[in-house]
Amino acid sequence: MNPWVATVGHELRSAGRERLPQLLLMIFIGMTAASAFIGSAAKATVTEVYNSAAGQGLTSAPNPFGNVPPLYYARNTVIYILLIGALLAIVLGVQSAMRDRRARTVDLVLTRRLSPASYLSAKMAGISLGLLAVLGTSALISAACISAVTGTIPAPDQLLRLTALFSVAWLFLLFFVALGMFSGIHASSYTSALLIPIVIWSVIIFVFPLLGTAVHPVSLLNPVTPPTAPQTGIFALTAALTGPLSLGEHFKHVAAILLQDPQATGTMTGGITVILAFLLAGIGSVVLTGRPSMRKEIHD
Amino acid sequence: MTSLITLCQKELRDLSRNRSVRLLILFLAVVVVLTVLVAAADFRTKTADYNTYLAALQASGGAVTAPPPDLFPLQMLRAGMEYLEIVGSLFAVILGYGLIAKEKNNGTLQLLFTRPLGRHSFAAGKILAALIIWTAVTTALFAVITATLLIAGNAPLTGTDLIRLLIAAAHTTIYLTLWSLAALALAALTRAPATGLILALVLWLVVVLIIPQIGDTMDPDNQIPGGLFASLQIDKAHEHAVMANFTGYETARDLIEQTSLTKQYERPLFAWLGIKNQYNQQSPAFVWAGTFNHSLWLLAGFAAAITAALLAGTRDKLLRKA
Amino acid sequence: MPESEGFGASSGFSYRQRHKLLSMTEMAIETSALAKTYGSKQALEALSLEVPSGEIFGLLGHNGAGKTTTVNILTTLLPASSGTARIAGHDVSTGADRVRRSIGYLPENVQFYDNLTLAENLTFFARLSGVPDPAARIETALAAVDFTGHGQELMSTFSKGMRQRAGIAQAILHEPKVLFLDEPTSGLDPQGVAKLREIIIGLNQSVGMTVFMNTHLLAEVTKTCTSIGILSSGRLIYQNSVAATLEAFPDQASLEDIYLHIESGTPS
Repeated sequence: MNPWVATVGHELRSAGRERLPQLLLMIFIGMTAASAFIGSAAKATVTEVYNSAAGQGLTSAPNPFGNVPPLYYARNTVIYILLIGALLAIVLGVQSAMRDRRARTVDLVLTRRLSPASYLSAKMAGISLGLLAVLGTSALISAACISAVTGTIPAPDQLLRLTALFSVAWLFLLFFVALGMFSGIHASSYTSALLIPIVIWSVIIFVFPLLGTAVHPVSLLNPVTPPTAPQTGIFALTAALTGPLSLGEHFKHVAAILLQDPQATGTMTGGITVILAFLLAGIGSVVLTGRPSMRKEIHD
Repeated sequence: MTSLITLCQKELRDLSRNRSVRLLILFLAVVVVLTVLVAAADFRTKTADYNTYLAALQASGGAVTAPPPDLFPLQMLRAGMEYLEIVGSLFAVILGYGLIAKEKNNGTLQLLFTRPLGRHSFAAGKILAALIIWTAVTTALFAVITATLLIAGNAPLTGTDLIRLLIAAAHTTIYLTLWSLAALALAALTRAPATGLILALVLWLVVVLIIPQIGDTMDPDNQIPGGLFASLQIDKAHEHAVMANFTGYETARDLIEQTSLTKQYERPLFAWLGIKNQYNQQSPAFVWAGTFNHSLWLLAGFAAAITAALLAGTRDKLLRKA
Repeated sequence: MPESEGFGASSGFSYRQRHKLLSMTEMAIETSALAKTYGSKQALEALSLEVPSGEIFGLLGHNGAGKTTTVNILTTLLPASSGTARIAGHDVSTGADRVRRSIGYLPENVQFYDNLTLAENLTFFARLSGVPDPAARIETALAAVDFTGHGQELMSTFSKGMRQRAGIAQAILHEPKVLFLDEPTSGLDPQGVAKLREIIIGLNQSVGMTVFMNTHLLAEVTKTCTSIGILSSGRLIYQNSVAATLEAFPDQASLEDIYLHIESGTPS
């Protein structure tokens, strides 16, 4: 068997047997399933609230939830991808790199006919395939739950959009796999290997959007996009600087368009470009790691 | 008692020299200060926008209808507090895990437990060290926050405001120490401390992010950008009248939220700082009456974490092989 | 006896202190039918052992023979499943705290606290052992392991050999009656091994400290130990003095050959 393919298979097998990813995976898939039902409960309540308000003559506005698309029920999934999915991806990456360093098997690998770049790219490919399987399963579960909530199977167009959402999620999460792996290769201890990418994740998800738009961290966890006023004053500058770095917001924007959120405007081009740019930078930094870095000892 | 203090002193010295711990705390401080600066800049932008709007209105001969934006300095802390709530607790988990992992991985547990220590001295020393560290860090963070509010935010702070900040700092200390102790207990109970870290991270994910997020997204007013009732042009009084018909749903949502200790921390915190509008500019007695049950739940969680850490950090649990 | 006689001068242990140690006629270590099981696995089986005070006892055995389990039980780190063990006259289960006051222990591969200096590490362990004046004892202990002048260095800068010497220093800070060493020469270079041997023999000869060590290095046992025991699959299959052992097997060239001979005679 080709060494590259053998490494991919080995990586898949090793990652599949680790407990932390398994635990996070269960939470992720469970929450993807729960997402549709949470959405359904919220929608039913909003409709009842509207009917009650309209019945009392308090409003003449149309029911904002009168005609929500079936994909509305998947929008919480976007947040779970951002939170649980990203952490799962980081942990997968860290564990993958740390496994070799802890067992000192990296020396065994590096004395065989495989360059560091081939080896690391094969590891990335292995995890990518595993992640693809996870997201594929989540997509199926999501479609099944939406069918259960709405009582009908989503139309082909909507299934296509759902598939597109999980495909973008795959690209988005692969960056975090690369980030975790990069940290796992370079950090001096297991604790810092986990901590560094989690800190970077928190900066990307919470701090950059805050600096650009003064939006509060917790409201970023609501799938409903906060109203975006045109940025003025200092925020015109900070938004220009941190906007392209707010990877989480770009993913949410692309997801909102794919899920036909009526509030989402604009195109997906910018968002997808940013996601791809992050991914390429992440993969590049992992694959270009040299032998000495890969052989560094860990301290805990 | 002597060995407890010796253990605690060693821990404090060790942690204070740990580069990662110092960097994390510096990072937290920088982010919290940034959030206050952003809030101050946001307020100035809104004031400038208002003045522009006012000038344009006056130039066109219109009458002033909208009031100027109000400045409530403590409300500027919202983002910083939310960051402490989410990322601060994550750092606390990692610190708590490190307190046990270090001893297990260095082989120093054997050195410690072949000495005449009391049954709970080891755990008590660690608990005391975690409490002291977080008290010091929270005091420093809140001192920096107050200085930023005074200097950069140009905010007038009253004596009551300072007491409110002190109460918020006390809640924060308890909340962060609680997370460290929970992680410490899990790392002590699992044979490989890394498994304890895994469990602690999963617990953090569920308690800090997932449960509050579920509660938040079930809130009907959070379903529409800007709020459902605002979009339907329904005022607060009528909103309450309408929601009175949905007490069952609201109670269920509230119960889901209350299962998260993060919410038990957030509610009194936001009330004391006036971030939650219903408590803004209200007397301390009013805030206390409305939130003391959450403070007590937080304390109960803290007591549970101390107990768990004390029971888990014993010789037989830490050294067991099978 | 003058204060400066023998190894006592470099170890710093005074004549008065030496008298606090066990007299040569007492048993430093006594076990009776000591056993330990992990689930269904019998790690130690009816171990009955007597090590008189003042001995340097080497416990030999293959990997998994039960050596570390024995040390863990004798140092109170692990409860026995059955049987009894007494260290310096104290029972390891009913008088664990008294045992802990009587022993010093150096586990295999100990790392210490890297962010603290050697002196800070030693002060910490001295205080936990209830030493009233740690500074003076640290100086004495460092002199005993020939490590004076390194107190203010950070542990993170120490080599493996230096860490082992620091490990011995922490183990003798409180003047224990019995010193337990688990694979003390593991990972040391030949110079490190020789230095460690010199320290162990010095402590034994100068203050009569009983030493119990687990080791794989049979050549080292010949040079260091006064008596040996051989564990095989959790059972003690041989115990005698080193001199008597060498005499009893005149046709074997070395202790290594004797060990292999005894081991092979044991039904597996």
